[in-house]
Amino acid sequence: MLRKVECFIQPFKLDEVKDALFDVGIEGMSISEVKGFGKQRGYTNGGTPNRTVKFLPKIKMEIVVEEEIVDDLIKTIVKLTKTGDFGSGKIFVIPVEDAIRIRTEESGKSAII
Amino acid sequence: MTDNVWEMTLERLDDTVSVLDLKPGTVKYLKEPRKILEISIPVKMDDGDIEIFKGYRVQHNTNRGPAKGGIRYHQDVTLDEIKALSMLMTWKCSLVNIPFGGAKGGIIVDPYKVSKRELEKLTRRYTYELLPFIGPEKDIPAPDVGTNAQIMAWIMDTYSIAKGYMVPGVVTGKPISLGGSQGREEATSRGAVYTILSALKVLGITTSNLTVAVQGFGNVGSHAAKILYDLGFKIIALSDVTGAIQSKNGIDPYKLSDFIRTKPLVDYPDAEKMDPLKFFETKCDILIPAALENQITAKNASTIKAKIIAEGANAPTTPDADPILKDNNIFIIPDVLCNSGGVTVSYFEWVQGNDAYFWSKRKVNLQLRDIMEKAFYEVYDFSKDRKLDMRNAALALAVSRVAEAMRIRGIYP
Repeated sequence: MLRKVECFIQPFKLDEVKDALFDVGIEGMSISEVKGFGKQRGYTNGGTPNRTVKFLPKIKMEIVVEEEIVDDLIKTIVKLTKTGDFGSGKIFVIPVEDAIRIRTEESGKSAII
Repeated sequence: MTDNVWEMTLERLDDTVSVLDLKPGTVKYLKEPRKILEISIPVKMDDGDIEIFKGYRVQHNTNRGPAKGGIRYHQDVTLDEIKALSMLMTWKCSLVNIPFGGAKGGIIVDPYKVSKRELEKLTRRYTYELLPFIGPEKDIPAPDVGTNAQIMAWIMDTYSIAKGYMVPGVVTGKPISLGGSQGREEATSRGAVYTILSALKVLGITTSNLTVAVQGFGNVGSHAAKILYDLGFKIIALSDVTGAIQSKNGIDPYKLSDFIRTKPLVDYPDAEKMDPLKFFETKCDILIPAALENQITAKNASTIKAKIIAEGANAPTTPDADPILKDNNIFIIPDVLCNSGGVTVSYFEWVQGNDAYFWSKRKVNLQLRDIMEKAFYEVYDFSKDRKLDMRNAALALAVSRVAEAMRIRGIYP
């Protein structure tokens, strides 16, 4: 079973996460520069009830892996991106019906390894 | 106040239903087990002579689905105890909203004083006598005190031979090689941890640098300690029958597990010994009684300094301790909620067995989390709505669901 691990992380953590995941054998990922807000509505210092919501820049990282390694992958990402402060990010795990490598037309697990 | 466990259970039920506006006839119905089976089980022992054992199976209620509950092998089993535990199973299944009623069984035997051969014969004859009463759509046994995956495998085999085809859904707690579920072994602990995390959320406590004391390092206690340790909690005190240990720097439950394979827990080198009688005085955020009944009493309740008590064991708190804990603002996750992860994964095992299609461990854990979180918030909201404590809210919610199922089904004819 394939799963997509979709992470929203702080831009300054990207290089460290990328290198660490490559080292543990992750074979590919995509990233995008995105903007978003969460419970703090875009303020990192808290206590801003009346100010307007604002967007903060984030990196969205998408990685498709087999279900068995999802928990370890999450653990690695959390360890590297947890700052203890608001705005460290979020991770979503999404079922992937299928994957196809276009060059070889391999599908399923073969397409991602 | 009586010390008969069945009468105590009925008194407890009377207290609960008083907040529920049920008709007296409904309460009468809920009190009576639907079926009580008492069996004499002859076994030809290894020495060639015949021994007669006494066994029971009680199906308390089947309004919400087939009866579900463990079978215990213990020399002190009594019918009253089995009746009380079968009723508890009805409430537990109802509380986590899985489609089962409640049952319990037992045999009066010390399983450590009979040979493996005798144990197998005893189990198979007991199962044979139960044939008309059990089945995946009727009543599904599971392991309990003194029984294990091997005994469940014998029950399944005996039942399947009689049917002429393999029926994995007749018992749960089977070995994985015979259709057991992934994650069953640590299910009770994992379920308890999910309720603890939900409790921390509603209490507004952030989950960093929290300290935990676990009483009991058996199946429930050891797995709970490991899961919490993995989540970054600090396990500062642990105990088992050999004694108690503590460490301000935290105890690694994995290392401790390895250590106690050969040596007693109290001799663990990376912690200090402590007086087991003072165990509950440990200054910690979360206290998990995961050993025997009646550990937290009116005598020691006032010394407890934890913010949350998560009842991994069954009935670790005596009724007279509850008001003291309440006065001290300690949040209780009651046993019927806290340790229902076990029966929930049993339910998953039954579903997988009936489907003949098996889930990954991750899926089991995620489904378990869904059910435990939902049950926690339902009890929590109910307790706020009705101004009840968590224990009364849990029981009242569970009883109300069974009563509603009974009302809507009606009484035949």
